[in-house]
Amino acid sequence: MMDVGRHPKIKLFAYSEVEEVSGYVGNFQVKVRKKARYVREKDCNACGECVKVCPVAVPDEFQQGFSSRKAIYLQLPQAVPSAYLIDMQTCMGNNPIACGKCAEVCEKKCIDYDMQDEIIDLKVGAIVVATGMDVYDPTELDEYGYRSFENVITSMEFERLICASGATQGHFIRPTDHKTPKSIGFIQCVGSRSEKRGKSYCSNICCMNTIKDSVLLCDHYPGTEIKVFYIDIRAFGKAFEDLYRRSKQEGVKYIRGLPGEVVEDPKTKNLIVTVENTTTGEVERHEIEMLVLSVGVLPRQDGSLIQKLLTLSLTADGFFMESHPKLKPVDAPTKGVFFAGCAEFPKDVKDSVTQAGAAAARSEIILNADRIKVEAITSMVDKDMCTACEICYRACPYKCILVDREKKTPAEIIEAACAGCGTCGAECPFGAVTMRHFTDTQIIAQIEAILEENPQEKTVVFACNWCSYAGGDMAGISRLQYPPNQRIIKTMCSGRVDEEFVLYAFKLGAPMVLVSGCHFADCHYIDANRWTVKRVEKLWDKLEKMGIRPERLQLEWISAAEGQKFAKVMKEVEEMRKKVTKEEIEFTKKALADLKFKGEKRRAKLEADKAKMEKVVV
Amino acid sequence: MKSINYKFREKLNSTIGGEAHNFCYQCGACVGDCPAAMYSPDFNPREILLQAILGDEKTLTGENSPIWNCTNCYTCYERCPQAVRPVEVIIALKNICYQKMTAAPEVREIVDSVKATGRTVKITSLSDRRRKELGLKEVKIVPMEELRELFEQ
Repeated sequence: MMDVGRHPKIKLFAYSEVEEVSGYVGNFQVKVRKKARYVREKDCNACGECVKVCPVAVPDEFQQGFSSRKAIYLQLPQAVPSAYLIDMQTCMGNNPIACGKCAEVCEKKCIDYDMQDEIIDLKVGAIVVATGMDVYDPTELDEYGYRSFENVITSMEFERLICASGATQGHFIRPTDHKTPKSIGFIQCVGSRSEKRGKSYCSNICCMNTIKDSVLLCDHYPGTEIKVFYIDIRAFGKAFEDLYRRSKQEGVKYIRGLPGEVVEDPKTKNLIVTVENTTTGEVERHEIEMLVLSVGVLPRQDGSLIQKLLTLSLTADGFFMESHPKLKPVDAPTKGVFFAGCAEFPKDVKDSVTQAGAAAARSEIILNADRIKVEAITSMVDKDMCTACEICYRACPYKCILVDREKKTPAEIIEAACAGCGTCGAECPFGAVTMRHFTDTQIIAQIEAILEENPQEKTVVFACNWCSYAGGDMAGISRLQYPPNQRIIKTMCSGRVDEEFVLYAFKLGAPMVLVSGCHFADCHYIDANRWTVKRVEKLWDKLEKMGIRPERLQLEWISAAEGQKFAKVMKEVEEMRKKVTKEEIEFTKKALADLKFKGEKRRAKLEADKAKMEKVVV
Repeated sequence: MKSINYKFREKLNSTIGGEAHNFCYQCGACVGDCPAAMYSPDFNPREILLQAILGDEKTLTGENSPIWNCTNCYTCYERCPQAVRPVEVIIALKNICYQKMTAAPEVREIVDSVKATGRTVKITSLSDRRRKELGLKEVKIVPMEELRELFEQ
């Protein structure tokens, strides 16, 4: 951190918040609120005189409440920049009757009670999200008695107790009698791997953290009895198994079983842990002097703020979703945004550093390029047709469309940020937006070609490029058999499938239409397939009102690996197709005889307007 | 070497309450706080779940099955991190036992009593007298027809 603070090319904004991000890859505009520290950062030399005179004492957050800090303080001893700051919530202020003592003793005169928050506008090319994590609060697990019994602490609190710069200068003592405990227990998976309380994933770091802690204790206080209650020890990394072995050699007892209950002996304040040793099948009671709960990792509680700022998406667990879980693990779905560390998923120091390095390198590529290449498949707008209704902006998962309804500025696509899902084109009610290489005309021509001969024997299938179409490939590679009556039209995303494509297929006599895309969490365009669902649901209603069986339009999610499912769905759809009668098809054709494309309607209106104008001029 | 009886597991999966047994990872949290396990050495909910995973039909649903020691206190339901609901798996096993006619005769008596009178405990003239002495209202009549209809369904 010191190096970062001193580096001539790195600007560090400590104690600041990002308020607004606009623009796109290579051209982000970021608004940063630099909060008032009430101490001039450049002048402060951290002499510490102000702390001595400050009369306010509050619990120290960094020390997990084991010690107190003053209203003027350094967040942590190694803080960069090394300058004090005043916590105005607790400071008594510069009223001479109330206080103002720190300003009196400060030789450099760097205390300014009237300092205001500063707004800084930055222009950046790439953004790395490294917002870290929160830890699980085990209070709700009442069987462990955290907060009821003082000698039950979390692994974060343990860290502060054993740290040389901690509240006890590294002397490990227990809270009740300030003596070094002779026996210590650790409970693993507190708040992790739990379906009910806490999170269902494995938090990745707690096993190794406990093993490290046990070795530390053995080094500092030989002869301490250490018991670890665990379900599985996951020592998967480089040299992890060695440390686990060393810990066992030092005499740490590993007991396989999750404790059911912890009670406190009211006299000695020792803790009695009831646990089934699953290796022997016996219920055991262990009396220990101190208990450490190895708490799991949570995503940042305020992660949704950053999610909105950068149009990111979150996984079901609440961590940020990467662009692709295997092939682009550092990139965010928004171009020019990258992840490092626990913002993406719980990981240890080594993995965080690795990912941070990768994120920095990926950012460098953008920063060093004068121009970046984008896929040719982007959306385009016919400005005459556009009415600036903002519907495309709302549908765009990347928010890469500039449009203003009030000023009637027609939509404009930021092509550097457009990923090419085509949802805007499908949602546009006037046919003004279309996609390069997947234009309305192209897709309509494909539908016409499919239904040219014997339309009653064919099913029109819309498959997205990434999942469903690849699922079809998989079915082919796996030599799976399925009926040959389906005709596939590929789109980049199922979000591209316009309402009128489906209706047009029915108009031409298609017995069945299938729309297929990626599974919800796997959409390659953040959440574009949610628009597919909305649209298909709307279509079902519409068809029903017209007297057409809504079952003739099917919606399925098929992933690239699901060749089996692809074949199964095709078989099911074929069964349904066989049940569609000739009369039904004829009825549908008639019902949709007047179908007009939205583009046609708008163009007709524009031409009529034009003709009117000309008349007026004449 | 034990082989796994998947047929029995499928049966357990299709019984209400039994479907979550697949997710048990044998942590033993259910045992640490189980009042029945504390006093009877042959009752251990984790082992019952292990036997369920192995599909040990004989032990679980035979006569003298350990499952009948469960007190239905639902502590394991609270403790289980994987939401396996051990107590409900045990109830499902009890139901299977009843169907297989391996449940204890006392259980059968209770079930028959519910089917006949709608009560688990018989109302006798003695209990009526005791209620009067204590100033309690007379026991309500169970709407047997409705109940019978429910059983038939």
